[in-house]
Amino acid sequence: MHKVTSALLVLVMGLTAVLATGCPRRQEAVGPPPIKIGIAGPMAFLQGEHHWYGALMAQEEINAAGGVQVGDTKRLIELVKIDTNEILSPEDAATAVEKAITVDKVDFLMGGFRTEGVFPMTEVAMDHKKIFMICGSATNELLEGRVDKDYERYKYLFRVTPIRSTDLAKVCFEMLGYVGVIMRQALGLEKPKVAILAERLLWNEAMIAAAQQLIPTRLGMELVGVWRPSATATDVTAELTAIKAAGAHIIFTINSGPVGITYARQWGELEIPAVSIGINVEAQKLGFWDATQGYGNYDTTLNTYGKVRITDLTLPFYDQFVERFGECPAYTAGTYEALHILAAAIERAATLDADAVVAELEKTDKHSATGRIVFDNLHDVTWGPGYVTGIMTQWQDGELVVVWPYPGWQGLHYEGVVSYKIPPRVVQYWLGQSK
Amino acid sequence: MWRYVTGELLVLPTRVVGLAACLGLLALPLVTRDPYVLRVVTLASILAVFAASWDLLTGFSGQINLGHALFFGVAAYTSALLNLRLGLSPWLTILAGGAMAVLVALVVGIPCLRLKGPYLSLATLAFPIMLTGLIFAFPGFFGGELGVSGLTRLAGTRLREYYLALGAMLVLVFAMWKITDSRLGIIFHAIREDEVAVRASGINTTRYKLLAFCLSGLFAGLAGGMYAHFLRIAGPALLAMFFSFQAIIWTIFGGVATIYGPVVGVFILYPVLEILRVVREIRMLGFALMVLVLLRFMPEGIVPWLEHRLEPECPRCRSRNAFTRRSCRVCGTAMGRPSSCPGRATRSA
Repeated sequence: MHKVTSALLVLVMGLTAVLATGCPRRQEAVGPPPIKIGIAGPMAFLQGEHHWYGALMAQEEINAAGGVQVGDTKRLIELVKIDTNEILSPEDAATAVEKAITVDKVDFLMGGFRTEGVFPMTEVAMDHKKIFMICGSATNELLEGRVDKDYERYKYLFRVTPIRSTDLAKVCFEMLGYVGVIMRQALGLEKPKVAILAERLLWNEAMIAAAQQLIPTRLGMELVGVWRPSATATDVTAELTAIKAAGAHIIFTINSGPVGITYARQWGELEIPAVSIGINVEAQKLGFWDATQGYGNYDTTLNTYGKVRITDLTLPFYDQFVERFGECPAYTAGTYEALHILAAAIERAATLDADAVVAELEKTDKHSATGRIVFDNLHDVTWGPGYVTGIMTQWQDGELVVVWPYPGWQGLHYEGVVSYKIPPRVVQYWLGQSK
Repeated sequence: MWRYVTGELLVLPTRVVGLAACLGLLALPLVTRDPYVLRVVTLASILAVFAASWDLLTGFSGQINLGHALFFGVAAYTSALLNLRLGLSPWLTILAGGAMAVLVALVVGIPCLRLKGPYLSLATLAFPIMLTGLIFAFPGFFGGELGVSGLTRLAGTRLREYYLALGAMLVLVFAMWKITDSRLGIIFHAIREDEVAVRASGINTTRYKLLAFCLSGLFAGLAGGMYAHFLRIAGPALLAMFFSFQAIIWTIFGGVATIYGPVVGVFILYPVLEILRVVREIRMLGFALMVLVLLRFMPEGIVPWLEHRLEPECPRCRSRNAFTRRSCRVCGTAMGRPSSCPGRATRSA
């Protein structure tokens, strides 16, 4: 028994040692060393996968064109996958980033998803003066109060996607106003009633407060109440029943968690006579249709990528992504834009020196798949007509279509935008009530 | 002092290894100042205090706490809020965090002391969940799911943070070990073994169990405060069940009711988890399998396992001796065969 134990111990220790050192090392490539980009995300989850997929597509395009011109030499891009495990452990995320910087020697970083993990990750990157391009967290405070208050430390921080929380809210209110007009016309309503259904998390608090103020004043609608289920609720029947009883015509959703699936399924199953618009991150995924068994039909959500021609780069990127990975790109796939922007900045700076690249990144004015990307003084992506606007997508009979910006909004005309549809049951219910 | 070193410290292999490990860690920056390596050891030091504090409560006094992250999380949030809102220095906020953890330990301990066994475990499990609910109920104050970020650094440089965490770990673990080696520790031990008998001896067991909660909370709290300043954020992940269970895994792996066992557990398992990053896809699976296999063959934990093999007990005076000795270092009795007690492996003469 003693020998067996010893043998096993030796085996396990040997295995650990092999794992630590035994992975075959790549042979030294001839030519200039590649530029190493760390892609940081929760790789076991969809968000991290899309970080990787977006960056992979950009890397292949850049390398196929010969690489990045850094001064006199062309250098290829090498991606380093950083599994941050941030959904489980923010501490693990920060350690993973530090390892990527000091052991894997990455030159630049991009990614991040869960704000609680992005804060320590970016702190580590700033300690090492490494450029970190956020592609996945909308929290204003990741840049506000950092880049503006302590520029010397946080100047290496940029956000490419998504647009910041307050701008997400602006898009939602634009859409809410648009749907309000449609509802007034279709149902002959004078003052549509709105119910807010928002998961109980901090990121949407400011949006709820703004909605409570804007809905009755600027949008001219009546707010019938706010319902706050848990982000992981598996039943929202009580909330939906109460919303129906309150006579709401519109449900304004602000959900990022799995409750989005529960809500959409029950909203359809219970035949709630109200349209559903706002943010439902789950409804951005192609798997949403099957997950809700089609009951999520007509659910409308804010989105980043869709089958629409925002610029001439949007559809080629979208189609190639769907064809290759079988999913429509999530907002974390913005690593695609980030890598192209970074490569262009490096070429202009003609060096990998972080300070020089920051100076060039600040001058970015890039025509991209999501619109024109220009960083503001907080290093945040600029939102608005002529820049990145975001889009609203609606599920229409199993297809995810783009319904906003509607043709003519602020002079914009995105080719491929279709008309917003009110679920037939909502029309029947309210027209039946008025007879 | 020298006599103690040569007569007590250097006579047992595990003590020599422990001393060498401490000296090795103190000298590590002379070999490498790689921030990643220093980071791993710094975090391991902080988490070692956390794991040892669980051992103090559960291993010694037998109060099975499945929600130990409560003390850690409360202190982390206290430190974070005091640092951000009042601008207090980490030195003060860490101490305040420890004090708040003691207060919470009292709040938890008083109702929980009426419970025993699985009922106590379930009750302790509920408290971090309740606090998480509180954090989400008042997101404006506690930062909700985003946590409280932007804290002052634990120290100015990584090297200073390293020595601060390592030094604190050595001092705090030594303090815990001295507590368990004192009369108080004997009472804790006795309460775990037979509470009725201890009460029959005229000892107020309720008071001592409450003391165990408070002491454990204090050490976990000090670790929590340091952790928040090291990561510069305190978030709800610190109160997650996973965090509490980590302390249990480290302690059981290292050896329960030893204090230094959990430290060894953390210093082995934490770096191993880092090494396993090379097999990203099966990292956690590989880690779990490794722990399972080792525990299959070392059910008492790695430290007791090594002690029983390297340091047999004298059959007469029960003193531990190096396996190389032929006679007991205390009473001189011939060390023919090591003592055998239930569950312990024996070594042939």
